[in-house]
Amino acid sequence: MASDRLATSTGTRPKDALAAYLSDLAVQLPGPRRRRDAILTELRDGLEQAMQDRIATGLPRDRAAAAAISQFGSPHAVADAFGGELTTAYARRTIVWFIVTGPLVGIWWLLLLHLSPWRTGLIALVAAIPVIPLIIAAIATAGGTLATTGRLMRWLPETGPRRALAATIAIAMLCMIIDLTMITMITVIMVSSAPTRPLMIIASAASLIRIVCSITIVQHAIRMRV
Amino acid sequence: MRPELLKGHLDALLLAVLEPGPQHGYAVIESLRSGSDGALDLPTGTVYPALHRLERAGLIASDWQTVGGRRRRAYHLTQAGHIALTEQRALWDQFSTAVTALLKRRTWPATA
Repeated sequence: MASDRLATSTGTRPKDALAAYLSDLAVQLPGPRRRRDAILTELRDGLEQAMQDRIATGLPRDRAAAAAISQFGSPHAVADAFGGELTTAYARRTIVWFIVTGPLVGIWWLLLLHLSPWRTGLIALVAAIPVIPLIIAAIATAGGTLATTGRLMRWLPETGPRRALAATIAIAMLCMIIDLTMITMITVIMVSSAPTRPLMIIASAASLIRIVCSITIVQHAIRMRV
Repeated sequence: MRPELLKGHLDALLLAVLEPGPQHGYAVIESLRSGSDGALDLPTGTVYPALHRLERAGLIASDWQTVGGRRRRAYHLTQAGHIALTEQRALWDQFSTAVTALLKRRTWPATA
């Protein structure tokens, strides 16, 4: 953990105070671990610089450390301040995961159903896969959220952390409905079709894995919203 | 000065502080303080997350360096950041001229 690494890098008492402060902060920061570690590393540098500046003005090391910590604010207040950024980072990372894994799951269903959208046309595709509108809704939500929490927010209205998290939950729920519908549909239609069984197993397994991941994501996102 | 008074202007201030060259987060806080003669003494919890948000928007970018054995994240303006700062300056000039004109003590013309 970042806090462990930070604690072991200290030697003198003022540095212990900084490490204790950062350890306390590490426990309270939400969101992706890599982002939290980067924030803690950045704040440690800032704290040490603030301490060095005070030492340069003649303060003893322990009082300089205390003054630097006081300037940075309580770990709770700093964690609260970073909450929005970390929540947005979590939402963006999770949405990217859904975008990347979408085709990896979908390709098995296309192979199983012998569908070639470029040959059969869109209407035949929608008739064969009734979840197409849900897939479009999930893609639109994902694209919109990524755009309005990233570089395009310079021109588009910015999506706040709570709405980004709500969009993540919505995408996860849509994926669960899509996967459950496809599994149910294929079980009813193709359960006796022996030649397609291996593909059916792969497609269903891919969907089941994504359902489990989606449930975990929804639980995590709901905890972050509280 | 209360931090909430800066609402809507913090992005421009951070971009302006980074215009001369790259700075790390704590140096940005110090630059805001010294550049405003102590009027803008912003808390860490305001400045660091705002820098991260600007980086997400592509207006600034950051590099990790090692300085005195410590890992340090230095921020610099991107091309989009330079453009945004120019726009923000123009907006501020317009805004401040209008507000200053209205806040001046003077006799208002009476309406019928």
